[in-house]
Amino acid sequence: MPGQELLVVEDLKKHFPITQGIIFQKQIASVKAVDGVSFTVREGETLGVVGESGCGKSTMARCIMRLLEPTAGQITFEGRDITTLSRADMRPIRRELMMIFQDPYASLNARKRVGFIIAEALEVHKLGTAAEIKRRVQELLEVVGLNPEHYNRFPFEFSGGQRQRIGVARALAVNPKLIVCDEPVSALDVSVQAQILNLLKDLQRDFGLTYVFIAHDLNVVRHISDRVMVMYLGKVAELASRTELYAGPKHPYTGALLSAVPIPDPELGRQRKPVVLEGDVPNPINPPAGCNFHPRCPRFREGHCDVEDPPLYPFGDGHVAACHYPLERWPMSAEEMQRAGEPAVAN
Amino acid sequence: MSLLEVNDLKTYFRTDDGIVKAVDGVNFSVEKGQTLAIVGESGCGKSVTCLTMMGLNAKRNTITTGEVLFRDENLLTIGQSKLRGIRGNDIAMIFQDPMTSLNPVYKIGVQLVEAVRLHQDVTKSQARKRSVDLLKAVGIPRAERRIDDYPHQFSGGMRQRVMIAMALVNDPDLLIADEPTTALDVTTQAQILNLMNKLQEDFGSAIVIITHDLGVVAETADEVVVMYAGRVAEKGTVDAIFTRPHHPYTWGLLGSLPRLDADIERLVQITGQPPSLLNPPKGCRFHPRCPYVMDVCKTTEPPLRPVSDDSDHLQACHLDEETKDREAQKLLAGTLAEAG
Repeated sequence: MPGQELLVVEDLKKHFPITQGIIFQKQIASVKAVDGVSFTVREGETLGVVGESGCGKSTMARCIMRLLEPTAGQITFEGRDITTLSRADMRPIRRELMMIFQDPYASLNARKRVGFIIAEALEVHKLGTAAEIKRRVQELLEVVGLNPEHYNRFPFEFSGGQRQRIGVARALAVNPKLIVCDEPVSALDVSVQAQILNLLKDLQRDFGLTYVFIAHDLNVVRHISDRVMVMYLGKVAELASRTELYAGPKHPYTGALLSAVPIPDPELGRQRKPVVLEGDVPNPINPPAGCNFHPRCPRFREGHCDVEDPPLYPFGDGHVAACHYPLERWPMSAEEMQRAGEPAVAN
Repeated sequence: MSLLEVNDLKTYFRTDDGIVKAVDGVNFSVEKGQTLAIVGESGCGKSVTCLTMMGLNAKRNTITTGEVLFRDENLLTIGQSKLRGIRGNDIAMIFQDPMTSLNPVYKIGVQLVEAVRLHQDVTKSQARKRSVDLLKAVGIPRAERRIDDYPHQFSGGMRQRVMIAMALVNDPDLLIADEPTTALDVTTQAQILNLMNKLQEDFGSAIVIITHDLGVVAETADEVVVMYAGRVAEKGTVDAIFTRPHHPYTWGLLGSLPRLDADIERLVQITGQPPSLLNPPKGCRFHPRCPYVMDVCKTTEPPLRPVSDDSDHLQACHLDEETKDREAQKLLAGTLAEAG
């Protein structure tokens, strides 16, 4: 099913400077929000991105969209380097590259009517006459499961799930190839979340869309993704196909995340012994030396993990994980996890 | 005698558009050392139920009837001053949003010490020592120093832990947790749930947990109350709810969940939106969204009655039991056709 490479991101970095001084501002440090992320997205597939808050998921999404200027690295979309394109050169590409935002309450202009919100991109790109645009907007409302007669309503007249549908319609308006979804269902109730997830899947099937789907809910990511990337502190911890990642995670962080997800089955839930990670995500101003996960890692080996930054070791079939002592099997108990086995080999 | 008994609780709000029946006849009870989970979508009345129990609704424009019996005393009629003695002492509450529930202009130590000194006759330094101990118990590193920090110096997970410490500072018999982990990441959520379980073991408190995450329910609860539009749709032990759910709304909730332990191509979705509580649908409140709707559902409200061979398992649905058992099994086997 997946076809050509649509989006290639290479060594993407985004550092936010921290400055001091009133007149002569000098940079004293930087927040390394995204610190060397590489991946490709093929046409028609969904790449899921998971990680805790503050791991750089959203910053990465904004860099791909060129809503933020990357500090370093290269973003290639349809074979064209878009990292340094000017605003004018970027404009035709923006038609192909759309975004759905997290908060359906904040991402729609409260003072504009729904029809205008959805039509805005069509007008900017001059796609048709006023009548054509209106017809298209009504068609879009229908596609996302809203009543076309709601064209003239304001966002406040809709519920959270309906607003997110408006957000989806807006992203679809110009027939994009790639949609970056930044936590599109996090703010919604489970039943409404299921409606939006089903809608996104249907649209992908009908229009051949490609998604980069960011979420912190591992269940949701598993449901919608073909491949999944786990991020930790601005870096890729693990990247694999969905089945591989959930059945045989290699990075202890992925393992800990998976074991922390509550299972909606009381029987299994009682047997489950989650690997509880201590502490919080470290400060990205001063990330730990070596592997950035080492202060919380159950398999931490002194003198290795805190010195040498692990590269992305390959495990076959495009499965890569940045860990010196990858998990041998899955599931694993917390005690088993602590006994580190053979170090990973680069080839 | 149960620790907490809620009988026919109703909370109505007078608004310009009419009376909103946020909670409309809710019954449940919690025993010592037990965990009761209340599940449902936003706006189904879960939070209002708890706020009413604690007497935290604004008095103006609120009509409350029914009984909330805590150790056989009705909290609704007990009077403000006595209630104030119970609140924060015997019954404590953890609020949903750790970002806004702490006062940003006071150090967390001041806020914790205040909670202790309100209810216990101790010196400041004793109260402070107790606060430090609790911060340690909830896993705040360097608690002696962090107690003099302001809330903004803590991360979300740590603030939630401070909230839990504050709730536990007087060893409450009943802890009400309103979506305690909703704003948190899975790893932090696991830490907080572990902590709550451990505290329950240590202190034997009863917990009422409000959540919409069925995973959390399965892991923490003994009893489950499923609420829909201000009423109880189904109530039973956690095993009954998850292995033999008997209400189409519960099926919808279970089916709409993407899960790690099963491959589902398409999620069951509950079509439509929760109804307006200004004038809820006639008959069964779930009937406009229910794929199994019958004529009787549109006219007669189903009573909450026990499942024939399990008197603790209550449900409010007109469907016959045979159909329900069959559909529930189909759902659990993951083969339920898309609802609606």
